[in-house]
Amino acid sequence: MLVGLAILLVLALLPLARPSTYFLGFMLILFMYAALASSWNILGGFTGYLSFGHAAFFGLGAYTTALLLFYLKWSPFWTMPLGGLVAAVFAALVGYPCLRLRGPYFSLVTLILTLAVSIIILNAPWTKGAFGMFLPFPPVDIFTNHVIFYEVMLALMVLAALVARQIERSKLGMGLAAIRENEDVAQTLGVNVTWLKMEVFLISAFLTGMIGGIYSYYISYLHPSFVFDTLISINIVLMALFGGRLTWLGPLLGASILSVVNEILTLQVEAQLARIVFGLLLIGVIIFLPDGIMAAAAPFIRRLLGQSRRRLRPSSG
Amino acid sequence: MLRGQQVTKRFGGLTALNRVDFAIEPGQIVGLIGPNGSGKTTLFNVITGFYRPEEGRILFDGHDITGARPHIVARMGIGRTFQIVQPFQNMTALENVEIGVLYGQGLSHGSESQARAQELLDLVGLGHQRHTPVRNFTLAEKKRLEIARALSVRPRLLLLDEVFAGLNPGEVKQAIELIFHIRRELGLTLLIVEHVLGALRDTCERVIVLNYGQKIAEGPPEEVFNHPEVIAAYLGSNETH
Repeated sequence: MLVGLAILLVLALLPLARPSTYFLGFMLILFMYAALASSWNILGGFTGYLSFGHAAFFGLGAYTTALLLFYLKWSPFWTMPLGGLVAAVFAALVGYPCLRLRGPYFSLVTLILTLAVSIIILNAPWTKGAFGMFLPFPPVDIFTNHVIFYEVMLALMVLAALVARQIERSKLGMGLAAIRENEDVAQTLGVNVTWLKMEVFLISAFLTGMIGGIYSYYISYLHPSFVFDTLISINIVLMALFGGRLTWLGPLLGASILSVVNEILTLQVEAQLARIVFGLLLIGVIIFLPDGIMAAAAPFIRRLLGQSRRRLRPSSG
Repeated sequence: MLRGQQVTKRFGGLTALNRVDFAIEPGQIVGLIGPNGSGKTTLFNVITGFYRPEEGRILFDGHDITGARPHIVARMGIGRTFQIVQPFQNMTALENVEIGVLYGQGLSHGSESQARAQELLDLVGLGHQRHTPVRNFTLAEKKRLEIARALSVRPRLLLLDEVFAGLNPGEVKQAIELIFHIRRELGLTLLIVEHVLGALRDTCERVIVLNYGQKIAEGPPEEVFNHPEVIAAYLGSNETH
């Protein structure tokens, strides 16, 4: 706990050391992916419903705050919960039919939904479609601009991680684990599986939409192919799986490590080659460490944090 | 306590249950037997809400539970085990049982819920293994855990689906003792699906026999096992195919 707070404090005060805007830009995208992976993991990791369509929630949140900024001049800093809300409403609409599907069928439908939403946004008259939307910058210099988004993304990461942590240790978390293990048996033990799945689907979508809502302001130019990108969905899944999907800490770890690895490979090696190396690394981890590096690193981290982690266990394989 | 009236379940053209009537009185141990595919597990699934019957009604303590969803049926007081043991492999024994205490009995997660889960593990003789990951259990232990887990929703009626299957004679004997012990302690009513007929002879007061989805006999074990239609169903009739 103390180690965690110390790391957080260092990260929050880091801009005081006046790092480069490049570094801040890299770090804030890392925070964003950590937040996204944590949000995804509540559904994908704890509950076992692997969504390959979280870009849909991300993009809906992004477009919500962007449209409010573009047409009404409302700042995304306070409209981002509305981005989350729109994503959650969308999740509520598609959740009931989607969550009846299990395994690969659920993944496939979420993947297709992203494409569908993307096409609707692309063809809607008020989103500027394929031209994309140019958004005004916050009225500050480029460094301050990066510092602000850095701190906001950090806060969102902490929020997502805290929500995930709270769920993991609660009655809800145990119910979700039962669903992941065996949904039919969970029902015979009194678990209202339909409601629990819906509940976490909404929470996950809300957080993801909120993160998207701030991302659009940061990149300041919005196009459906940016925010409804399937690659975003896949990155989120891989980071969470790589880190370890059984605990709240796994996705944070996965997003951090993979962001750094990806950046180094892209800068030092050719970008195309980097993709291949990156892919191989992921395949290796998924085959040899099905519960992510968290499961392998658990004894070490437990010692480091000086506390026991209840649900940190390798899978049955 | 549990009453089925003209229960009919069809899968496409196949009638898995055909106008089955049954009644189980409080405190009874009733056996449900029949050859493979005779509709035993289908009947369990209809009672516990996994299937909605096309016709007929299921009444539990006078309440119509026909088509009620499984988690509602569980909370009303019907516990069940599955034919193939399905413990939550990546949880400890205690966590396996705690789920039902939390969701079936509506407790919040804490020392009270863990204490109740522990009591149930003690009851089935697994108390000392509460922190063992379940995947390390033997089949007999997994079956005991299944029973403890089914009890975690605090049922008044317990449905056991082939709990003796795959156990050696010594383990079957222990399992029978366990079932009597549980019934004494908790005052349960039991409906047992079974292939091991000898085990039923020793446990049940009454046996219901299904064949091709129809009830062909009902009564005390000795009487039912000698019923010509039952013998024909199990050993095949004299007709040539």
